[in-house]
Amino acid sequence: MSKANTATMHARNIQKVSVRQQIGKAAYLFLTYAFLILMAAIVLFPFYWMLISSLKTLEEYRRSSPTFWPMVIVLRNYVDAFTTANLGRLFINTLIVGGVSTLLSLVITILTAFAFARLEFKGKELLFACLLATMMIPGELFTITNYSTVTTFGWINTYTVLIVPFLVSVFYIYLLRQNFLQIPNELYLAAKVDGTSDFKYLCKVMIPLALPTLVSITILKMMGAWNSYIWPRLVANDEAHRMITNGLRNAFTETTGDVNYPVQMAAVAIVSAPLFLVFVFLRKYIMSGVSRSGIKG
Amino acid sequence: MLKKLVSTMLLALMLMVCLVPAQAQSAGFAVPEGGYDGSDVTITFYHTMGSNLTTVLDAYIAEFNALYPNIHIEYTSVGNYDDVRDQISTEITVGSQPNIAYCYPDHVALYNLAQAVETLDNLIDSDITVTRADGSTEILGLTDEQKADFIEGYYNEGMQFGDGLMYTMPLSKSTEVLYYNKTFFDENNLTVPTTWDEMEEVCAQIKAIDPNSIPLGYDSEANWFITMCEQYQSPYTSATGDHFLFNNETNRNFVKMFREWYQKGYLTTQTLYGAYTSGLFVSTSEIKSYMSIGSSAGATYQRPTANADGTYPFEVGISTIPQVSEDNRKVISQGPSVCIFKKSNPQEVVASWLFVKFLTTNVNFQAEFSMASGYVPVIKSVGENEVYADFLANADGGDYISALSAKVCLEQEDAYYTSPAFNGSSTARDQVGSLLSKCLTADDGGDVDAMIEAAFEDAIDECEYNY
Amino acid sequence: MVDSKHQWKAWIYLAPALALLMVFTIWPIINTVRMAFLENYSGLKAVGGQAFEFGLGNFTKVLDYRRFVDCLRTTVLLCVWTVPISTVLALLIAVALNAIRPLQKALQTIFFLPYVTNSIAIGMVFAAMFNIVGSFYGTENEIIVTAGIINNIIEFFGGEHVNWINYGSTYTSNIIVMVVYIVWNALPFKILVLLGGLQSINRQYYDAARVDGAPRRRVLTRITVPLLSPMLAYVIITGFIDGFKEYTSIVGIFGVNMGPPDDAARLNTMVGFIYDALSTNSQGRASAAALILFGIILVVTLVNLQVSKKRVHY
Repeated sequence: MSKANTATMHARNIQKVSVRQQIGKAAYLFLTYAFLILMAAIVLFPFYWMLISSLKTLEEYRRSSPTFWPMVIVLRNYVDAFTTANLGRLFINTLIVGGVSTLLSLVITILTAFAFARLEFKGKELLFACLLATMMIPGELFTITNYSTVTTFGWINTYTVLIVPFLVSVFYIYLLRQNFLQIPNELYLAAKVDGTSDFKYLCKVMIPLALPTLVSITILKMMGAWNSYIWPRLVANDEAHRMITNGLRNAFTETTGDVNYPVQMAAVAIVSAPLFLVFVFLRKYIMSGVSRSGIKG
Repeated sequence: MLKKLVSTMLLALMLMVCLVPAQAQSAGFAVPEGGYDGSDVTITFYHTMGSNLTTVLDAYIAEFNALYPNIHIEYTSVGNYDDVRDQISTEITVGSQPNIAYCYPDHVALYNLAQAVETLDNLIDSDITVTRADGSTEILGLTDEQKADFIEGYYNEGMQFGDGLMYTMPLSKSTEVLYYNKTFFDENNLTVPTTWDEMEEVCAQIKAIDPNSIPLGYDSEANWFITMCEQYQSPYTSATGDHFLFNNETNRNFVKMFREWYQKGYLTTQTLYGAYTSGLFVSTSEIKSYMSIGSSAGATYQRPTANADGTYPFEVGISTIPQVSEDNRKVISQGPSVCIFKKSNPQEVVASWLFVKFLTTNVNFQAEFSMASGYVPVIKSVGENEVYADFLANADGGDYISALSAKVCLEQEDAYYTSPAFNGSSTARDQVGSLLSKCLTADDGGDVDAMIEAAFEDAIDECEYNY
Repeated sequence: MVDSKHQWKAWIYLAPALALLMVFTIWPIINTVRMAFLENYSGLKAVGGQAFEFGLGNFTKVLDYRRFVDCLRTTVLLCVWTVPISTVLALLIAVALNAIRPLQKALQTIFFLPYVTNSIAIGMVFAAMFNIVGSFYGTENEIIVTAGIINNIIEFFGGEHVNWINYGSTYTSNIIVMVVYIVWNALPFKILVLLGGLQSINRQYYDAARVDGAPRRRVLTRITVPLLSPMLAYVIITGFIDGFKEYTSIVGIFGVNMGPPDDAARLNTMVGFIYDALSTNSQGRASAAALILFGIILVVTLVNLQVSKKRVHY
């Protein structure tokens, strides 16, 4: 076998490999898209259902065999939803409670997660385990005790009672701590040598690095305010403080105790719209990541 | 920091002290001398009304305030009945319960664990004269005419708590009625069944005419079981002593009978069918039912969707539900009552009573509220209200189906029964409902009686465990 | 490193959270423990002036419940199926989302949509998917109005329809439906958390891997999973905690009966048991059950933490 021959064979081999690689890459990409689109369809289905239900008549909704497209599109449901519930007031209340509690909750979560991730103190492990343990008791059992607590504080029918009791979430503290722990120790020690204070380090380094997680927490917290139902009903069910879900649940109950679901769905769709827009806007931040920040990890 | 912790804990301890229970009095409500003294009171009222009903309520609150300008009514639509119950039972623990609330009997039994509900006997019997803002007067209690005006079965619901005392007033009621496809019945010369024996025959006839059909749909298994107990005069529950008495031969026998019907394809229920049985009844497709037993307040759900020209695919007839015997006619009574809660200021209780009395005895309110809600009035004299009489006169199986169902309800006012209410009565209700669906369908493994017997014993066990 | 000055500082950072937790979490827990040891305690009866004896009666009553083992079994079964499935699926989706360019924005938006979807709508969808509407199954009179979307699909591919949740259905098919539903419910949250984590991973790792020509699977197992391990540990541990508290999803499918019509309470769980006790205002029994559940979750979480200590790379 001549030297030239070997060289051609070698080149051919390389070509073969790269073609195979190309095909593999294409197949991989195809599979990725197929998988994502299938999962997206599955995830999207309830949303689609919410929209078509909001356009159905009550009769059609009650049918034995559900329809996948409304036979008659009833836009009236949206008009009814707008006129029955005092949506403006409900919106403002929910925005106030959601906004303030998200902001305060973020501050508390950041401080606590920082202490658990970076600071040293006696009993840290034990305290953290205790916090985790509090997540394990079904919250329904807390309702009665908390109710008597806020009554004693005189907080009934105030914004305070809707905001303060749920500011601390061990779920979020835990989530953020996990994220903080990933930030390399060397950065912290270097900052210490430079004489940077803990607080400055937290603000300048850790918060920017944990931005995606903080945005996730914001979304979850806002959603919580939007969906909270039992506690607000119990402690602040007056006109001035009523929140969106309570307002919606109350407005569309039929006398027979049934709920006019199509109208309720229409109302939900209306109040979801701004939230959806906020998400579309925030997505940029979640996805932006931190790769640009140029910190070596 | 430690100081802050300690002070927080101290605060917590103080809270614990605040939780020390208030002592309850056992005697009935002591009506203040002079009745309502005209003082400024705010009365809170929890209900489940949608906005169409609060519009009616608003109008009559205004009318009430013309008579009693210092009694301020603040109502809250809390959600559904369970929401009202959960909310109030939490509020009772700190004494912040409302003055008046929509209630079902088992809710009152629950509130009574804390002895939080005021008994109404002393108020009803009071002959104190109260002067109203327009100078006219009324007696605080109910006059004999007013008492006699209430439909007896509804009124007696207030006294089903085992001690003979009156805890609730009926506000607006409904019952179960038999909806049937009148067009189909007329075409095939079928007679509407009035007894369960006739029902079996009609089901067999329908099945022969249309083998693809399910002749009868029954909405609520629990109502069905309890109503059958009443019709057979066999024990179900008791408010005192042994609570759970429903495991007896009569009950096992009727359950077995209905199992046979089910196996012949005669009937279905909401949970077995897996959807609203009214959906089956109004269906215009191949599979449908020709009879449906459901709430009289849900009449509009039992009417098929109108054609483009405003006519209906078939006419709906409404009749009373079948009986075991014509001599012992029994039909369930459901729908909201109201109860009044104990308060330290007796004027609040008296004012609450005045408002409750106003709502339950005012002919115009009862008429308007009934027409808006699909429920029926609790007083007989509503029939004299012109608007309501017109409403009933229009009754038909199409556009005015609500009126037709109200008419049928009013015809059977002597047949209403009430079940004993105690803490645990709602568990019994749930249990007999699932007991019936189980017995209709479960695999009997060759021995029906043993299967039914075991199912009954399990249900009793569950009731007693939860009690 | 631990000097007193630092300690003092750490407690300042913790103060707001601890103060609030003290009042709104620790204090209710203390109260729960108190109620658990007062026999037949009921908040309303206490208001009514009744006194309660101290004892273990509530605990024995919980353990004596004839279906206690069933409740426990269903709870555990749902947990061990749903947590791994939902975590793996969420991981795959997050990684795939991170790997594509065209359509990325649209798909990311779609995966956020569940957050603005009403939970009632989600329940309704599932009812429509698995519910058979009809009667008299298995007899000559059998009538089926609709077999549900899932069964329609099965029949389209030539299979026989399955009785998923209606009467006559098996425990296994009930559990399968619940697993699908719970996984579906859990996915969006997990995708959000894992995607957030993925975005925090420095691109340089991947660039290095690309230079080395490492195959994709190895990039996933050797780079992505280890670097994502704190977030994975998080979703797994909180997934287990949530899984043991499963209740509302079962109500969503089976209604408050917690089982098919011919066997009510078949799918009852520990939290369902607690709700049952609360409905008759038996807070003593509910509290005792909650403490038992707490004990179980605590053990599972400790095991989880122990495992993650070995496996998680920060």
